[in-house]
Amino acid sequence: MQFVIEHLEKRYEKKEVLRDASFAFDSGKIYGLLGRNGAGKTTLFNCINRDIRSDGGSFYLVGDDGARRELQAQDVGYVLSTPTVPEFLTAREFLKFFLEINEGKIRSPQPLDVYFDRMNIAPEDRDKLLKDYSHGMKNKMQMLVNLIAEPTLFLLDEPLTSLDVVVAEEMKALLRHQKAGRVTIFSTHLMDLALDLCDEIVLLSHGVLSRVDKANLDEEGFKEKIIAALQAEEPQGAQEAGHE
Amino acid sequence: MNKTLRLSFSLQNAYRVNTILYAIKQIPLLKRLLPDSLYACAGLKIFGQVLAVLWEIGTFFLGKFLYFLTMVVGVGVLYEQAPTEAAFAHILIFLTFLGAFLNTYLFNPTRDKYYAVILLRMDARAYALTNYFYSLVKVVVGFLPFTLLFGLLAGAPVWLCLLLPFFVAGCKLAVAAASLWDYERRGNAPNENKLSRIGWSIGGVLFLAAYVPPALGWVLPLPVSAGIVLLGILAGALSLRRVARFAYYRQMMQEMLSQSLQQVDAAKTAARSATAKAITADARITSRRKGFEYLNDLFVKRHRKILWQSAQRIALVCLGLLVLALLALYLYPDARSGINEVLLSFLPYFVFILYAINRGTGFTQALFMNCDRSLLTYSFYKQPGMVLRLFAIRLRGIIAVNLLPAAVIGGGLALLLYVSGGTDNPLNYAVLLVSILCMSVFFSVHYLTIYYLLQPYNAGTEIKSGTYRLVMMATYLVCFFLMQLRMSILLFGAMCIAFCVLYCIAACILVYKFAPRTFRLRA
Repeated sequence: MQFVIEHLEKRYEKKEVLRDASFAFDSGKIYGLLGRNGAGKTTLFNCINRDIRSDGGSFYLVGDDGARRELQAQDVGYVLSTPTVPEFLTAREFLKFFLEINEGKIRSPQPLDVYFDRMNIAPEDRDKLLKDYSHGMKNKMQMLVNLIAEPTLFLLDEPLTSLDVVVAEEMKALLRHQKAGRVTIFSTHLMDLALDLCDEIVLLSHGVLSRVDKANLDEEGFKEKIIAALQAEEPQGAQEAGHE
Repeated sequence: MNKTLRLSFSLQNAYRVNTILYAIKQIPLLKRLLPDSLYACAGLKIFGQVLAVLWEIGTFFLGKFLYFLTMVVGVGVLYEQAPTEAAFAHILIFLTFLGAFLNTYLFNPTRDKYYAVILLRMDARAYALTNYFYSLVKVVVGFLPFTLLFGLLAGAPVWLCLLLPFFVAGCKLAVAAASLWDYERRGNAPNENKLSRIGWSIGGVLFLAAYVPPALGWVLPLPVSAGIVLLGILAGALSLRRVARFAYYRQMMQEMLSQSLQQVDAAKTAARSATAKAITADARITSRRKGFEYLNDLFVKRHRKILWQSAQRIALVCLGLLVLALLALYLYPDARSGINEVLLSFLPYFVFILYAINRGTGFTQALFMNCDRSLLTYSFYKQPGMVLRLFAIRLRGIIAVNLLPAAVIGGGLALLLYVSGGTDNPLNYAVLLVSILCMSVFFSVHYLTIYYLLQPYNAGTEIKSGTYRLVMMATYLVCFFLMQLRMSILLFGAMCIAFCVLYCIAACILVYKFAPRTFRLRA
């Protein structure tokens, strides 16, 4: 299966954030989306998630048999940099609600505690209101719910940047473990994280997506190549950063 | 000093001008015409500057004029038993004492202080002193014409009228010096918006002292007032040194601003934390329902503080008023026919009352902040079927909450109508009750519908939709104008019921057609 973006365009007034962005992502791989601050990473995700309307172009899924199909809302899982969970529910209530709503769509649902165990969420925290959760804990909940839904396309917008090392390692392991059968796109501006976790590196610069080929470069050489590619970009104006 | 003053002026102007331009850019149609480069347009900047300067001059005098017109002289004319010049001085003196606490300038945590001292790292002492003395000059210059005008009209001697502005400034200085001294000694950063309980009690006593004794015919004799004025000026003069020499402006302002202006960078967090506080952390709250019913049930139960509890409180207050009204009708039979007439023609007035007590805005705000803000990032939540199912459940919930007080009001009015002499046409009772209930349903539907159709917030809980603001404002204005309208129950009630029914049908059609597309986070 592939996720294909074709000629995607988005502009704010005269500023072109995405212009003719095209790329084909293969399932089973984690893609690191690198771009400078204000390059439009969040805009790209918001377009794909249909939170904002794009000005042109299309994106769709291509099955293994070559058949195209429209990207449905339930295909997408989206984890934001600031984790969002409904604050008036407890973790258990949120999970229960989520499973009930998606009844019939989730393959082999498990008892709630099995999920919590899998995410290392301690038993005493499971019945706390989510508004009292720490940043890292909220992030875990958000990941958990997204992963249970088994999205075909999993978007993560700088999700690990503000987590402590232990949780960040847990999350990385989880993402690697869950990558089979889906396209995972991981936006970050931390290169080491991208190189550590991702199978492919995709650059977003000048509103265009491009793959950086590792070829036979070593780690250092690869880094230099990426930085050189990013530096080719002019500095981004504050105006665009405001939209991110 | 000059430079500091100039800098703080241009800073204040810059953000005032940008605020004006920002407001203009929120208007739906204009928004498209105006480019983002608006803020760089020199002509507009100058126009904004002119407005800002006019505003500054206006605040010099206009506020004081209104203050005298209403608080000092306006109330003063009610007191016939006291000599006017003494009453004038009496009221002004006590209000000045009160104002010295409540309106200090120095301890008011405003944005310009935050921008200048914290963000731009201007010298805090120079900034505070320059602006403080400027504000004192403003007090003296702004007060002088009005103490003279109103003072002489009241018959006070000229020298007293000339001294009064300095007395006002002196009191402010004395309070400032005392607060600064307190800060040096105990480390309590003063903040005029966060008075302690004692502060509020003293304020209340001063307020009462200003207005109650004159009503009873007792005021400070003029010589005593004059003595107090002189003492105030002396105290101010003595305080000058302490204020000027105070060494910890930077620390004090930092503490004061961090108390109440943490939200400057994120005004939204204030609203967010306020709404987060509305969540009841009661572990006993559970629900036996399933799916969206489960979600909504828990939401309503955990937010009972701002939903059911407040609706119940409003209903209780209405019930209390009803009992009082019934009692009044019983005690004063003469008033019955008058009340009866009023009841028969005052129905439009209740549109505004129902507008004012409706929980709709609080409900949608809490819905967004505590629930939809997060859930809208999950794709399952945005599927059209799910959006509409939840809309229906929520609509039912908010209508029920609002119907409780509406039923009390509607039933109460019908009862009052009956007790005050009744009406020839029994249909009036039914129309009265039904139209009040309809109004309540209308507001519930209205708020939830525009929330679903315009979903005005972004993920950072800022309102991003100018249209939403305009609709809210229009709602208010329409209700306000209806308040002025007098019409018979049958006519207005029938129109009202018809309108509400049609509106609800139209709203639901619109939601079913558009909400799956419009109900999402704004970027």
